[in-house]
Amino acid sequence: MKTPFSILTLVLMLVAGIMLVGCPSDEERTGTLQFYAEGEERAREGLVSKDGWSISFDHIYVTLSDITAYQTDPPYDPYTQVTVDHQVRVSLEGTYTVDLAKVGSAADPRKLVGQVSNQPAGHYNALSWRMVKAASGPAIGYCLLMIGIAEKDGEIVEFTIGVDQEVEFRGGEYVGDERKGMLEPRGTADLEMTFHLDHIFGDGLKPADDEINLDAFDFEALLADPTIIDLVEVHLGHVGEGHCRVIPLG
Amino acid sequence: MHTKAKFIIGLATLLALHLMLSMPIHAHGVRIHHTVDVVVEITAAYDSGEPMAGAQVSVYAPDDPSTPWLTGVCDDEGRFSFAPDVSRPGTWTVRVRQAGHGDIVYISVGGSSDTSGRASGYAPLQIVLMAVCVVWGSVGTALYFSRRRR
Repeated sequence: MKTPFSILTLVLMLVAGIMLVGCPSDEERTGTLQFYAEGEERAREGLVSKDGWSISFDHIYVTLSDITAYQTDPPYDPYTQVTVDHQVRVSLEGTYTVDLAKVGSAADPRKLVGQVSNQPAGHYNALSWRMVKAASGPAIGYCLLMIGIAEKDGEIVEFTIGVDQEVEFRGGEYVGDERKGMLEPRGTADLEMTFHLDHIFGDGLKPADDEINLDAFDFEALLADPTIIDLVEVHLGHVGEGHCRVIPLG
Repeated sequence: MHTKAKFIIGLATLLALHLMLSMPIHAHGVRIHHTVDVVVEITAAYDSGEPMAGAQVSVYAPDDPSTPWLTGVCDDEGRFSFAPDVSRPGTWTVRVRQAGHGDIVYISVGGSSDTSGRASGYAPLQIVLMAVCVVWGSVGTALYFSRRRR
């Protein structure tokens, strides 16, 4: 004869079994996170430097590693926080050299660097990545290698400007037309490493005393000595329009 | 006076007082109702200190982070204010953008932060039931072995 104890145990086991069958599987709680690199129109269509050179790029190679997305609560603030305190972290393994001057696809001009599947759903509101020296390929030895043609007053110059200073960028939530990084179960979300070339070359279409031009370099000065580009000071890396904290490496 | 009579008089006095106090007083009364609204004011400026006059502002409620709850523009001083719906507590998000520059600020309303962190995927009832099962299993095991020793 069964005791009340054993009957209660059986009932509990039965109910627990039914409840656990109803639990979502890992697949139902996860999605795919995509990582894009974007140089914006300036990279693909060219720009006018602060000293009046019309510049078009054949290639803008950036070499990226340690690309990591975070869910942070409270949200990470690159202005006040050094470390990214997070609840969830997703890393894209590997090192990638991307040409920002080339269109990613007809549907999306950004360059897809990579994606990671089966990652926890939630809002990925912080992103970090490193710019490192390429170990092989066309940009070998450089973190940033820009190749193109510049023209001013009929003078045409072919240029190659390389930067070998390794840095890490740490940004908060993407700032742009829409919010990014919201990964729904079974869904796909994207994050973007955005590179603002006007922080290097300035913007000749804006007044000389515009803030962007006060901090940028003359193109002719860059031709003479590309090493004047200090990636820690330039703040090349953004998350959309949001600034990143820049950490020097090495 | 008898104790009973004293009791009746006392009771009648109390009843009279109650009636007096309960009667409406017809006078020039004033009634002031008040509510307390939380008003958030932000001030947006460039690093140079220049106000972001006319910058686009989007406000997102905690329970709908994809759709703006409110949109507007900063005034000439870069200020923008709004009264969040306090019935929707959590972290409100305010995004300010202008001419390729922008930033986001997060404002906690209602004393509790949002739940943007990782969810366990289990309902509270499921978690409680699992906890009960673990405890019951432990107790049952202990009782089983204690019975065998007798």
